[in-house]
Amino acid sequence: MVETVLSLKRKYCVAVAWAQDPHTIGAIHRTVSEGFIDAYLIGRTSDIIKTCRSEGINEKLFKIVEAASETIASSMAVAMTKNGQADIVMKGLVGTDIFLKAVMNKKNGLMLPGAVLTYVGAIQIPAYHKLLFITDPAVIPYPNLAQKVSMASYAVEMAHRFGISKPSVALLAASEKTGKHFSSSADYSAMVEMAEKGEIKDCIMDGPLDLFLACDKNSVEIKGIKTPVNGEADILMFPSLESCNPFYKALMLFAHGELAGIIRGTEKPVVVMSRSESQISKYYCIALSCLMV
Amino acid sequence: MVLNTLSDLKNIVAGGPRKKLILAAAQDQHSLGAVLKAWKENIVDPILVGDTESIQNICISNNYDITGLRIIHEPDLLKSVEMSVRMVNSKQADVLMKGMVGTSTLLKCVLNKDWGLRTGNLLSHFALFEVDTYHKVIAVTDVAMNIAPNLKDKIAIVNNSVSCLLRLGYNMPKVAVLGAVEMVNENMEATLHAALLSKMNQRDQIRNCIIDGPLAFDNAVSLESAKHKGIKSEVAGDTDILLMPDIEVGNVLYKSLVFFAKAKVASIILGALAPIVLTSRSDSEQAKFDSILLAAASCK
Repeated sequence: MVETVLSLKRKYCVAVAWAQDPHTIGAIHRTVSEGFIDAYLIGRTSDIIKTCRSEGINEKLFKIVEAASETIASSMAVAMTKNGQADIVMKGLVGTDIFLKAVMNKKNGLMLPGAVLTYVGAIQIPAYHKLLFITDPAVIPYPNLAQKVSMASYAVEMAHRFGISKPSVALLAASEKTGKHFSSSADYSAMVEMAEKGEIKDCIMDGPLDLFLACDKNSVEIKGIKTPVNGEADILMFPSLESCNPFYKALMLFAHGELAGIIRGTEKPVVVMSRSESQISKYYCIALSCLMV
Repeated sequence: MVLNTLSDLKNIVAGGPRKKLILAAAQDQHSLGAVLKAWKENIVDPILVGDTESIQNICISNNYDITGLRIIHEPDLLKSVEMSVRMVNSKQADVLMKGMVGTSTLLKCVLNKDWGLRTGNLLSHFALFEVDTYHKVIAVTDVAMNIAPNLKDKIAIVNNSVSCLLRLGYNMPKVAVLGAVEMVNENMEATLHAALLSKMNQRDQIRNCIIDGPLAFDNAVSLESAKHKGIKSEVAGDTDILLMPDIEVGNVLYKSLVFFAKAKVASIILGALAPIVLTSRSDSEQAKFDSILLAAASCK
């Protein structure tokens, strides 16, 4: 992914809200050093400089903009991105809810009219033979059908940007059986039909599927189930934030996974990472957002 | 005391009298192989209930030596399950295991009011994971049985799991109630349940454990993540039991740990008179063996 970004031979400008923690500054520093990013760090100047120095990073590599609070820093970062000073806006040490409020602000925010705000991530796991795109680990607790359709479309679009022309989308559940106990089955059936009719374009979609049927060819064979996804999923669509969030966290902590993700539904890429995310994950997120500009 | 690996369960088993395991409808190659391995390793004394001829055929074609093993001939599937359950009910065996029979058939017998294995407790699925990226084993519940547990069900699931760990020798196991976020959010029922469970624990309504939640997955298993978010919790980063909001969350997580994190797992059903081993065809040989091991170790 990073190679693709570097091959674009372009510099992107990121505005970071409340950029005071070592993970964020470290990640930004790497992208700046590698030459594909210019950065505005918005926050308490003294704290930013302090963090830079304790990390041994030259603060002069960044444009530091003073802001007195998390809320002000968030609004400033969003405003700078909206007016074109920056291509990408990124969350630093600020809480996700405060940051997203600024992004979603009706007048000064970055939302596209009528768009669904959601999150798409790309996760790299040593135990899987390719990148896996997931949605939504961060924004919509219990998506309805319309929101699920948007989520899937955004994920498909992201896979396209990675050069996967017809990604396989697995609509995940606890079992491949549809049933009244599982609220998402009805939505899933509708989505499969929409994909067949071309309302969700350029993808192969099936569900409900459990994780094994989505990602493990062996299980597909053992169970003898016919699915076009066939253990080769590129995209995992989760029934809820509750299920997607521990999934990606478990992969990062227990399966040596690395996640990059961005907010979709906005006019410019918005990078939101959990504050506890590692520096390398934050770095990948910035690279991913460049691809989505 | 905590378990660092699933193999540590062998020490618990070695310390006590050999437990009797009944394999119901034993003419099933997948479960039979694991049961015989556990027998050879002195983990359990098996009793096979089922069609003797089919059992013998399977053993011959797989080179299993069953000399000296007790086999009770009952060719009818349902009758063999009923007989197995009745034997556990009358304390002739300590562990029940499913062979060539559907899960629902087995559970129907287990729940029989007259001769089943009811205790008045909810039945729940308990999966014990060994992940090389975590410092001890971690239980995840319920990923397979209760679809959308309400608060009352979750209390029962916690109690089932805590009692199981106590029987394994734990003292005050740490329970993290999983949420997508660590803040209580009135729109996310799981976080409300988590807050209530934590408070009930503080008030001694749920005993013998330390409960905290909601905790997001990273905070439950990583002290560094919890510190980064400024969360103060006795449970964070040191979880023994991870309570799932519902089966949709639990099932994907369970499968991702098995498939992506290459975790070892042992799972049993709790809440009945005896631990029940329900393995499926897609479980690995190791997982079936470890489940028998866990069942034997967790007997009273």
